[in-house]
Amino acid sequence: MAVYKRGYQRYDGPLTGGWTRFMVLPRYAWQRLYSQRLVVILTMAAFLWPLLCAGFVYLTNHLDLVPTIDQGFRDFIQVDGRFFRIFMYVQAAFASFIMALAGPSLVAPDLANNALPLYFSRPLTRWSYALARLAVIAGMLSVVTLVPGLLLFLLQVSFAGGSWLVANWTLGASVVAGFLIWVLILSLVAMAASAWVKWRVVAGAVSLACFFILTGVSEMIDQVFRVTWGHAFDPAWMVNRVWCAMLNVETAEGPAVGTCLFSLTMFVLLLVAVIEKKLRPVEIVR
Amino acid sequence: MENTAVVELDNLKVKLGRREILHGISCRLGVSGTGKAIGLLGPNGAGKSTLIQTLLGFLKPSAGRARILGIDCRRSTGEARSRIGYMPENDSFIGEMTAVTFLRQMAELSGLPPEPALEKAHEVLFHVGLGEARYRELRTYSYGMKQMAKLAQAIVHGPELVVLDEPTNGLDPAARRRMLKLVVEMKAEQGMNVLICSHLLRDIEQVCDEAVILKEGQIVHHCNLEEERRSNRSFVELEVAGDDKHLRDVLPGIGAEGVSEGGGRWRIVLPPGVEVEAIWALTTQQNLLVRKLTHRRDTLEEIFLKAMGHLGNTGEKASGLRAQG
Repeated sequence: MAVYKRGYQRYDGPLTGGWTRFMVLPRYAWQRLYSQRLVVILTMAAFLWPLLCAGFVYLTNHLDLVPTIDQGFRDFIQVDGRFFRIFMYVQAAFASFIMALAGPSLVAPDLANNALPLYFSRPLTRWSYALARLAVIAGMLSVVTLVPGLLLFLLQVSFAGGSWLVANWTLGASVVAGFLIWVLILSLVAMAASAWVKWRVVAGAVSLACFFILTGVSEMIDQVFRVTWGHAFDPAWMVNRVWCAMLNVETAEGPAVGTCLFSLTMFVLLLVAVIEKKLRPVEIVR
Repeated sequence: MENTAVVELDNLKVKLGRREILHGISCRLGVSGTGKAIGLLGPNGAGKSTLIQTLLGFLKPSAGRARILGIDCRRSTGEARSRIGYMPENDSFIGEMTAVTFLRQMAELSGLPPEPALEKAHEVLFHVGLGEARYRELRTYSYGMKQMAKLAQAIVHGPELVVLDEPTNGLDPAARRRMLKLVVEMKAEQGMNVLICSHLLRDIEQVCDEAVILKEGQIVHHCNLEEERRSNRSFVELEVAGDDKHLRDVLPGIGAEGVSEGGGRWRIVLPPGVEVEAIWALTTQQNLLVRKLTHRRDTLEEIFLKAMGHLGNTGEKASGLRAQG
């Protein structure tokens, strides 16, 4: 029967489980975000660098195809911690731009349209709403960071064999852990900016500016006081420092890995506090 | 579950910051599954919205307990919310979505599988009169259409209790009539319990079976509107010209009782179920000319004003009040 002839009847069928309900918000958000041409273009562009890196991995494992390369260069081009660090560094930049583009539409429209009471009047807690929104951006960023990173690692394993995997499994683990840290920080910054600023364009600018401003502040502290601990205010630098430690690559002088991890934890807690404060169904004026 | 109250408050106190808004209110409103409407009345700042937000689990009680359909609002928030539909007072929607997508998402969030959610979204949009506009983005809707979309999202998952916060606010007369008609249908045809928060007495009077009046965070009056209507309807003041000496004898024929006050003036009490038209018929039968027929009743406005302390409680009208605060 046509729907307009049927009339409204209360639903009394089976209900879905908690996880299915949790995935409703990410599903609809991804659908909306990937229908935007700019997001699709940027996501596709983010795969160019991994493709180049894949070509590099292929070349290093098939050097006999190019006999003209001298021995010194053959020793230089290797798939090691340095290679993965460069790969991650460039890919992290792409992820930042995707975050700035997609992040503002996470919470800002719901706040601008006062939609939170509609969500929270359903069986959805504040934290499950926040996690669902976090899953949206974390999922999108993982597609351009974790997935190509792991694929590159597996490509190298497939070329170099099991002995290389046994000797270098920590590289794979470092790529996963390193990208997870970056994805978490980017997602939280995007969420906090989106929850704090209701205007979408401004929220995008704020989320990117947050990194540039903190980098500037840390450099200023270092230069003015002639110290190196100013980097403890720069999340991008600290994440890079942690990556270098995990991939066993030398890095510039600055705070120790432990300090960086502590500082990053504080940064994450601050962002969580911002999100917690803004995501309320009703605003209480004290 | 037969006698489970729709809303049960037990010494409920709610604070916003340091200010106590609800001062230990207790009551039992409605009976679950009966398809009745409860009106929540009160002037601005009485605590109506605070009470609704507490029932929805948005605010934490500082003392006491609130239950909806027998479920503790604080301890089992998820379970309580899965059985409620909420229409907020202010604009609440997602502008970039079409009405169908918006409602489908809301239905899925309430636990409907995707396909039934889509079906219900279409059904309910036709039901509230937005069928033709269902593929339009919500931001392009007029105010009245947005109100209807808000109502649609509140009932799309078929809740047992629908909480409507000022549903007719800002609507033109035609839209208001339509909204109230939908509320009546929700009760009568779908068996949903409805909790309406409003300051428009006529709306409450028209659709509600029970009313609670809040003042300064306390319940000052709780009445069964159906009973009030029935009891008030039975009281008629009549003034006739002509020979009315047989009127007393024929009144028992329709089950009514009457007292003559002289000069053609009568006070008549009609039994339940007998309408005032029966008096007209009797006067015609007795060849009496009706000069005046007053069908006296306490309106909700009078009850409200008395509860607010703007009218003095006098005589028989006062007997209808059961002030609790």
